[in-house]
Amino acid sequence: MSEFVPTPNPQQPPDPFLLKGRVALVVGAGDPLGRAAAVALAEAGADVAVASLRAGPQEVMRVNSVANEIWSLGRGNTALTLDATNGNSVDAAIARAASELGGLDILVNAADLPVAAPLDELTPEDWHAILDANLLGPALTARAAARLMKPNGFGRVINLVSVLAARGVANTSAYAAAHAGVLAMTRSLSQEWARSGITVNALQVGVYEGQHGFGDDPETVSRVARMLPAKELVKPGDVGSAVVALAADSGFITGETIAVDGAATARV
Amino acid sequence: MATPDRFRLDGQVVLLTGAGRGLGRAMALAYADAGARIAGAARTLAQLEETAELVAERGGEAISISTDVADSDAVEAMVDRAMSHFGRIDVLVNNAGGGADGDGSPLEQLTDEQWRWGIDMNLTSQMLCARAVLPQMTERGSGVIINVASGFGLRGGRDNWMYVSAKAGVVNFTRSLAVTYGPMGVRTNCIAPGIFPHTPQALERWRGGRYIPVGRAGLAWEMGPLAVFLSSDAAAGISGETIAQDGGGLAAIGPTGWAPRIRLTEPS
Repeated sequence: MSEFVPTPNPQQPPDPFLLKGRVALVVGAGDPLGRAAAVALAEAGADVAVASLRAGPQEVMRVNSVANEIWSLGRGNTALTLDATNGNSVDAAIARAASELGGLDILVNAADLPVAAPLDELTPEDWHAILDANLLGPALTARAAARLMKPNGFGRVINLVSVLAARGVANTSAYAAAHAGVLAMTRSLSQEWARSGITVNALQVGVYEGQHGFGDDPETVSRVARMLPAKELVKPGDVGSAVVALAADSGFITGETIAVDGAATARV
Repeated sequence: MATPDRFRLDGQVVLLTGAGRGLGRAMALAYADAGARIAGAARTLAQLEETAELVAERGGEAISISTDVADSDAVEAMVDRAMSHFGRIDVLVNNAGGGADGDGSPLEQLTDEQWRWGIDMNLTSQMLCARAVLPQMTERGSGVIINVASGFGLRGGRDNWMYVSAKAGVVNFTRSLAVTYGPMGVRTNCIAPGIFPHTPQALERWRGGRYIPVGRAGLAWEMGPLAVFLSSDAAAGISGETIAQDGGGLAAIGPTGWAPRIRLTEPS
């Protein structure tokens, strides 16, 4: 076992939800949850770098428009494109974000590649693509971010996953396995970096408004909503607020998964 | 720069049990800072009045109600008193509870009375308080209940009987409250604190040790922001959920620092 330095107590902040002076990177900011996280972090005072996963014109346009929203809130911002399945691309993009905004304190992994098909139709290549985007990506961004965070003794890594990480739905074997993998990785990294001031947590998000393939079909939406105590889908803004709460936490919450699902997983 | 409105509780009324000391007092101060008014309840009036003075020093308002949370008549009287003073209760925090006489004893020596008292104090008390505040919440169509459990609500402990059983009950009671009263506008969540010592000496004893992954124990004030967040509109998507605040303890297994290395290809 390695030796540890004693961890100092955090100072009680005058305002527990302000992120003034913090720099965040949101990967997958072109998706609704990533956008909501980026805007909520900026509203709480953070400077925010936003990254898209692919260099396609639509995705670049969406991420640029999120950067514009952050600019209009008066916060530092930058838009990046990275290939989250390529270590060199991730390292270069995160180094650029940190050099443009002056460091890196908060990483939000919001990139999401939903695929739903019966196992019989999934090829090994499909599995590799699904696991690369949904599981390897967050591993590589966390690795690059933690290298920058460790010397400062401070970091907040927040991984967004689907409720499918914890409950079974037909045709989501590979996607669900990847997201469950992110939760296991969250617990493991929370221990690996426990004495470095870096907390690692996850938000397990229920079906949300506008979710590609799950929350954008009116019939599915009304059927899923009827089952929920709140009778409505999760709103991306609620996920953004939860990201802020974890980003602003004093450091005693780590390795934890918080469901943002309107009590969907509370019931039988 | 100001806190985003979603995280504020201006004008709201919080009924907080166990408000005379420790985590309850710390939460009362955080609620006051967030703009809420507080009805603090506990057995010992003198301690409650100290809490109320500290709240007043921060520009807040708190009243003190002496009660016994394990007695249904006393709980009804507590809620009547809070309602007659403030006219509404927006948030109930079921914080009262603690180690019971008989916990730490071999099961064979436990008496029926010790068992019933431990369960009454830590589980029945939360039911009594929830039952008493819910009618005015459901009538208004809004409200928040926060139950305080423990890491021992999710894991067992040697010679720990009533406390672990009652706190596990609190975790699942939370889920049924969320599922049942969610459609009526009432969100219910649970906080599972890890080790939060009462004295500075006890706090120092945990520093750098191997039991708590982050290498320090919790500070009472760290409970405040989590309770405020869960009470606020910022947590609108979260219900039925138990959030551990324990320095990474529940995410772990074995002693902190256990960091095995196994190569990808071991010689056979």
